[in-house]
Amino acid sequence: MAPESPTVLITVTLPPRSTIEDAQRRLGLAEDEVDTAYGLVPVDPAHGTYALLVTEAAGARLQGAPEARGSYQGPFANPRIEPFGPVQSKDEEAEDGDG
Amino acid sequence: MRVIVQMRPEPDLIQAVVDPSISTPPASDVAGSLPGVRLDPDFVPVPVPQPKPAFSDGDPLSLDQPLTFSLAPEDASVLVRGEIQDRDGAARLALLSSQRADIVGISADPAVETMPTCGNTPPVGDWHDVQRFVTDALKSEGLDGSGVPLAIVDTGINVAHLGTVLGSPVTVDAARSWKPPGVAGNYGQFPVHHGTMCAFDSLIVARKVSLLDIPVLLSQRPGATVMEGLLSDAISAYAHLWGLLEQMPRDRRRLVISNSWGSFKPTWDFPPGHPGNYSDNRAHPFNLIVAALEVSGADILFAAGNCGVECPDGRCGFPSRPINGANSHPSVLSVAGVDTHDARVGYSSQGPGRLAVRKPDIATYTHFSGSKAFGQNLPDSGTSAACPVAAGVVAAVRSRLSVQDLSPSRLRTLIRRSAHDAGGHGYDFDYGYGIINTPQLVDAVRRLAKTTARL
Repeated sequence: MAPESPTVLITVTLPPRSTIEDAQRRLGLAEDEVDTAYGLVPVDPAHGTYALLVTEAAGARLQGAPEARGSYQGPFANPRIEPFGPVQSKDEEAEDGDG
Repeated sequence: MRVIVQMRPEPDLIQAVVDPSISTPPASDVAGSLPGVRLDPDFVPVPVPQPKPAFSDGDPLSLDQPLTFSLAPEDASVLVRGEIQDRDGAARLALLSSQRADIVGISADPAVETMPTCGNTPPVGDWHDVQRFVTDALKSEGLDGSGVPLAIVDTGINVAHLGTVLGSPVTVDAARSWKPPGVAGNYGQFPVHHGTMCAFDSLIVARKVSLLDIPVLLSQRPGATVMEGLLSDAISAYAHLWGLLEQMPRDRRRLVISNSWGSFKPTWDFPPGHPGNYSDNRAHPFNLIVAALEVSGADILFAAGNCGVECPDGRCGFPSRPINGANSHPSVLSVAGVDTHDARVGYSSQGPGRLAVRKPDIATYTHFSGSKAFGQNLPDSGTSAACPVAAGVVAAVRSRLSVQDLSPSRLRTLIRRSAHDAGGHGYDFDYGYGIINTPQLVDAVRRLAKTTARL
């Protein structure tokens, strides 16, 4: 069975100029539980909020984990986004599928 | 919401309305004070006859039989016209009916219009019309977007196609562009699609902007397919843009971001009330980074969406209030669509918004023959086209005024205040504050600029 892809969006509060390794250490995450290509993305730099993608299992484990308390938030929805055009009919939508 | 109220006041009042030999009493005399209704004083009350069976054994509740019509004071009723607040319209109508025994019925008073422009309607006008309506006033003041970075967050830009249609070369600022990991292709050389249309529609207004190509919707991340991305990619793109903005000195800071995309279905999201929800939650990371970027000085525009009640896009899944997430963010300009006859296109999403109620903010042009990105005879359509037209207007203003001169929030206010009130009654959920009105906007900017001595 293929390893689980990190697709769950979470945020963590860290000091300025933190790295993905800092986030892993802070949250107790193994390397294969984090999308390192996505990295640690500053979301609200004034408040030290960063986003990262983790596996579903890691996201579930972090909820209520003592090492994450106070700095972790999530999981957050990571919905599909699509262009608003050209305007599609119901028939075209049915062909494309709902996914 | 405009309404027609059918009333049965005292017979002597009905007689006064019916009798052509005496002057008709005003609506305020007929209706008195209707709670929550602003009566239209210019609407002369109209008598409505009562249908009655022509024969004594007729059905008293059928219109499908021989009828006579009685204007006798004990039978007739009277129509007056007024307006109630859009918000909670159904509840307001129910309460109004229950508070006055002389109200016979209330009905909507919709604007009488021809069929609205829908997705399958041929182009309405062309991009030269849009330039005439929008660009000329800006150009007369030399507001052409010179030096202003304008990020097209979309499916990528094809400059060769743009150059062919516009008749002169177009370039992108590759050094400041950004793409998600794994996206193949070079900036400015992506297949001709939606992003190329958006770039075109901004360039017809502000020809000299510096285009930043941000092909977020080409993401190859698991779960995404061709021409769609995931919101996490947009977070990364915005982090990149935030970094660019922070490098600019405040007195020269300017960055316009055009977003003609969004989330169509609540099934792709956590439900409202869930702490991780996106559509209704200002604390979602993407909504946070939108707020942070605006505070840093970015002018952010989002298309309102294509889920208007008359002819929604087939992908629309929200049962109500389709302007959701960042498309309804209080720190962005949410853009509705009108055709070149100033009529709202039937697919343009209507408010209220989910994060901020007063969405859309403004409207501008779409559904015109423009980029030909989807074929020779197909329009640049959707609020997708309106959003970059509006972004072009913002970029044009920014070619003279930095964030230090005019904050993004104040610029949004100027655009709203100078808009042409197409709905006719102030703010409404179809057009927002109205259609972008560049002659008025230029006047407002000129007045403001006198204090900064920049124009």
